[in-house]
Amino acid sequence: MDEARLTRASLLAESSLLAVVGADCSDPPNLADQATSLFLTVHGDGSVQAFNGHVDLGTGIRTALAQIVAEELDVAFERVSMILGHGGLGPDQGATIASETIQITALPLRRAAAQARRYLLELAAVELKVAPENLHVNDGTVSCDDGSNRFVGYGELLGNRHHLLRLTDDVALKPVEQHRVIGRSQPRVDIPAKATGSFTYVHDMRLPGMLHGRVVRPPYAGIDAGDFVGRSLIAIDEGSIAHVPGIVKLVRIGDFIGIVAEREEQAAEAAAALQVTWKPVPSLPDMDDLAGTLRANPSTPRLLEDKGDTPKALAEAARRHRRTYLWPYHLHGSIGPSCSLADWQPGGLRVWSGTQNPQVLRRDLATLMGLHEGQVEILRLEAAGCFGRNCADDVGADAALLSRAVGRPVRVQLTREQEHAWEPKGAAQLMEVEGGQDAEGGVTAYDFSVYYPSNGAPLLAAILTGAVSSTPTVLQMGDRTAIPPYDYANRHIVCHDMPPIVRAAWLRGVSSLPNSFAHESFIDEMAFEAGVDPIEYRLRYLHDPRAIDLVKATAERAGWTPRTSWGSAGSEGDILRGRGFAYALYVHSKFPGYGAAWSAWVADVEVNRKTGEVAVTKVTVGQDSGQMINPAGVKQQIHGNVVQSIGRVMKEEVSFTEKAVATKDWGDYPIITFPELPLVNVLMVDRQSEPPLGVGESAAVPSAAAIANAIYDATGVRFREVPFTPERIRKGLGIPEPLPAPSAEPARGRRSRGRLLGYAVAAAAAGIGLLSNFTPWRSAIEPVARPLPGVYSDATIERGRQLAAIGDCAVCHTADGGLPLAGGRRLETPFGTIVTTNITPDPDHGIGNWSYPAFVRAMREGIHRDGRHLYPAFPYGAYAKTSDADLSALYAFLMAQEPVAASPPETRLAFPFSLRPLLAGWNALFHDAATFKSNPEKSALWNRGAYLVEGLGHCSACHSPRNRLGAEVKGPDHLSGGTVEGWDAPALTALSLAPVPWTEAELFTYLRTGFSPLHGPAAGPMAPVIASLRDVSDDDLRAMAHYLADLRATRTSEAEAAEQAASLEARASTSMPPSLSQGARIYEGACAVCHAADGPTLWGSRPSLALNSNLQAARPDNLLRVILGGIDTPAYAELGYMPSFAAAFDDEQVAQLLSYLRSRFAPDQPAWTDLARRAGEVREILRHERLTRADGGS
Amino acid sequence: MVTKAIGVTVNGKGHELALPPKTPLLNVLRNDLELNGPKFGCGLGECGACTVLIDGVAARACTIPLAGVEGRHVTTLEGLGSEGAPDIVQRAFIEAQGAQCGYCLNGMIMMVKALLLRRPDAGVEEIKRELRYNLCRCGTHLEILESALLAATRLRQHG
Repeated sequence: MDEARLTRASLLAESSLLAVVGADCSDPPNLADQATSLFLTVHGDGSVQAFNGHVDLGTGIRTALAQIVAEELDVAFERVSMILGHGGLGPDQGATIASETIQITALPLRRAAAQARRYLLELAAVELKVAPENLHVNDGTVSCDDGSNRFVGYGELLGNRHHLLRLTDDVALKPVEQHRVIGRSQPRVDIPAKATGSFTYVHDMRLPGMLHGRVVRPPYAGIDAGDFVGRSLIAIDEGSIAHVPGIVKLVRIGDFIGIVAEREEQAAEAAAALQVTWKPVPSLPDMDDLAGTLRANPSTPRLLEDKGDTPKALAEAARRHRRTYLWPYHLHGSIGPSCSLADWQPGGLRVWSGTQNPQVLRRDLATLMGLHEGQVEILRLEAAGCFGRNCADDVGADAALLSRAVGRPVRVQLTREQEHAWEPKGAAQLMEVEGGQDAEGGVTAYDFSVYYPSNGAPLLAAILTGAVSSTPTVLQMGDRTAIPPYDYANRHIVCHDMPPIVRAAWLRGVSSLPNSFAHESFIDEMAFEAGVDPIEYRLRYLHDPRAIDLVKATAERAGWTPRTSWGSAGSEGDILRGRGFAYALYVHSKFPGYGAAWSAWVADVEVNRKTGEVAVTKVTVGQDSGQMINPAGVKQQIHGNVVQSIGRVMKEEVSFTEKAVATKDWGDYPIITFPELPLVNVLMVDRQSEPPLGVGESAAVPSAAAIANAIYDATGVRFREVPFTPERIRKGLGIPEPLPAPSAEPARGRRSRGRLLGYAVAAAAAGIGLLSNFTPWRSAIEPVARPLPGVYSDATIERGRQLAAIGDCAVCHTADGGLPLAGGRRLETPFGTIVTTNITPDPDHGIGNWSYPAFVRAMREGIHRDGRHLYPAFPYGAYAKTSDADLSALYAFLMAQEPVAASPPETRLAFPFSLRPLLAGWNALFHDAATFKSNPEKSALWNRGAYLVEGLGHCSACHSPRNRLGAEVKGPDHLSGGTVEGWDAPALTALSLAPVPWTEAELFTYLRTGFSPLHGPAAGPMAPVIASLRDVSDDDLRAMAHYLADLRATRTSEAEAAEQAASLEARASTSMPPSLSQGARIYEGACAVCHAADGPTLWGSRPSLALNSNLQAARPDNLLRVILGGIDTPAYAELGYMPSFAAAFDDEQVAQLLSYLRSRFAPDQPAWTDLARRAGEVREILRHERLTRADGGS
Repeated sequence: MVTKAIGVTVNGKGHELALPPKTPLLNVLRNDLELNGPKFGCGLGECGACTVLIDGVAARACTIPLAGVEGRHVTTLEGLGSEGAPDIVQRAFIEAQGAQCGYCLNGMIMMVKALLLRRPDAGVEEIKRELRYNLCRCGTHLEILESALLAATRLRQHG
């Protein structure tokens, strides 16, 4: 299947060839002419290539088209390969839309195959010297009917020449009774390669010398109309990506920004890091009042039908009903973000693309790049299912611009966030109905208006670069199935054509799905008003015989029982059952358009009357598809439409900020999952002698109304807005909100960084008064030669290695990605950034010339060899407790390490902290240089633990609060929790907020593995500490765990802890179903995969949020840091990693998520407040930390 | 940045990769080893299109850096079988037509493979739970479930 590499030249070079070419090409046909389009070729080896202008969007038309060709040409299916959407060779049949391929664009191909067969039979008749009617064909071999054993193959008949046939329409097609390929289920040709990784999607296309590109989109996410579009970029800080290796070029044209790099992750890192200044983005209209916004959007009414006298009929009606139906914005939601590869050459441009419109893209790219159409070649490869116009075309233009900028092939893949935010959405839609009923309940008048804000979504790069105007065009596409299928006597149907509000284009079912939602909901309501069964009522107005047959057959298959009031399906406990019907003929294309397959649904639902959750439990779906080419393919399309549309109707809705699209990931935009699948019972009507009809969309069209009608049947309440989320159902049913409303009290919690600094300055100044009592300047200790190897025994060095591990020496004295112990790590403190020093034994840059006494002085008193005071970020307060023997071993270990001849930048704190002599006063106040004294009342194990925890382990450096001068608070607050580098280090004492008390065993497990099943993983600054403990013996870790467990007033047994954990897990799992609120849905879509107790088995740990103390903390900072920063350096790889969600969630979404997490997993704690603001602050802090790290030249 | 070669075994073959430790595993597999089975879907572990096996356990390759698999065995879709000789799970997906566009197919097959390695007698509810966080936009769920059940049945019959 190497269709992307097929060229006209390769065909011309073949010695034997039959080609059926377009009727509009030159006469006689010339294969060398670029304008000659091909429908079919038969080759000397008997193989067949068939061309169609449409492409396979994942629906399997490649297989069905090959079946058609095999049937009409009389060859085995396996001989036929399809060439789809080949811009240079195949016919231009427009975009692959509206389920047209089998119904419309396959027709000339089918004739071409029949024509080729007729021609080949004529050749065979001459060759075999019998009349054509006395020949028959079996798999491309023509035989005589006369009983003689004479036969000839199609390939042989061609001889050494080219046969060119212009397509005619006077050729007879095979009668249905002779079909042996059409109508038989055929396994799809593409699945074996797809299931084994050998299929080439556009995402998998690579060229020699190819570079990788990423784009940076403007902040007006998902908006492509307005004066500001293409004119909002103020400045780019190129220095912000100077640290990223491999950057080839930064490209800016108008508001278009792209980065080209040698490697994909380099381009991605640079695109994420690039600092861009944009103009403020104007506000969108109120997207929370979607109906109002659609009504107010400038529009032009277009009368589609005016039958009878609707105003008069309404005026005379016994009852009048005004109804409004509303449809939200939906995503196409391709699972693979769009991708394209472009190769710009002096002669022109080649683009490998997953587009559904190769011909349109070719024209658009020519315009954008200033080329003639003939200079642009589109090579269409399959992509992730698109269901309409997603970003496939846009990314082709992105790749083209970047390839031109660097003169090499460039592959661009969008991020998930970009695809979600910028894809042209399936448009929101408003339907307004006014209907009249007569005294008997019959509909006498139907006044219908539809508002549909969508167009074709012009190529994004063309708008961002200013090549195309950002004034939106208006397409007339709101009219699909706007005429109801019911023959009301008076009908007045109007479509309000309008430009998009946000970027929008067609999505599966286009405007038909919402229009049918209105038609089918309204007639259902009228039926119950009239006291008539809704199917019987519909049949009064339905005159299309195939529609009537389908409706009756579907009702029968479902076992429909007539009903005239809701509630007939019964209930059980809190579950109300209901059943609903809807029918549609999907009428599409330019008005008045034509119909694809007919479809009807019977939906069964269960509604929870307490939570508002709705489960679609069963769908019986009937479809009249005309002639089915591949019945298995038709069934698969019906299944796909049913399953996908249930997700759309029940769950899906794009969210917006005041200015742009907010939806950027699957958390904010959940789609259907496996546990939500209903039973699906498919009825396929046998119409093999009728023409084939499009089946790619029809079965989706009745979905919303069938489900809404079923919910009515269950509850007695009509829902006229999609999606039917639990919030909407609760509101409709008048159920009070189960979630506590967020508290409005102002933020509590910590003081701001600025205030802390203020305290510290004042206190430092006070400290100056104490200077007279202590010597602020200390003498240098003479440098010595580094001790020779062999001075210390291996055993001593090994003991030193373990002690260094407990002391975390390498944690602070190693930069990110730097050499061990060579320093350079930046520690953020309230007094400024401290850069750690090189403590390798290099004489000039490290501590190679430090004598042992100089080392001991540093460890016990915080004095550099040269007499300078060290800042107490170096925890000499704790290290002082270390025994002489251990210090000696530690010295031995450090001196035995590989020297590194490099110095990290010097620490430069601002005044007054730049004055190191002040630390003499600080030491006088806070420092105790005494070594550890054991407690004779405690066990040896306890004392060993205390020695390590309080000494080298320096746990209190992070886990104790500090006073205004940055000194640890002693006494009862010792180890009662502190902060380090923006993280809350939890209390290790009885003040711990851990939902389950820490036991000695859990502490040991945590210190040993970095993960406690009853608490969670080590993260943030604790992760490298755990990693450092890797080298520490089990005995020492047990001692530490023993001592730490004793810090709690009461001990908890392992069994009690496990029991508590189980009960907390149980409470969390039952307290809040995951679909109750937007925050809950974000959790379900983004977090639960790795955190839900019953989630799939995935590599890495599965931290329980119900047991995690960060959910219980007074402030949300640790959680914010993990969510926005991710975990890219766990203590041990097998604990797993966590991505940063900073690009996926805005501050408001983070706040929604955290509110939910807090209320579900820490229900006993007060709600966090002001979360969005704090999320923004932490986001900014993390950005600053990243920049600082990047500056550090890691 | 210090770059030392990181050793990893992929589909049974050893590789020494001189790449930064934070290089996403998915990029290494696709761009350096040209294994196209695992797909980029979201970069957040939400959709599962990138799923591979690490030491036989399903893993989201988009969120795991190269350093995370140092010294481990990684298996991709290509490592299960080929078009000519598909693995039992791949064969089941081909037979039961468990794909439309097929972009999510890698993740579905790898999750089912990992589940059946661990629990060969997994039933339909367990399969649904295991695939809950693997997203499919085409709505091929019914065929995918059928494929997974077919694989489980075959495995029970033939071991």
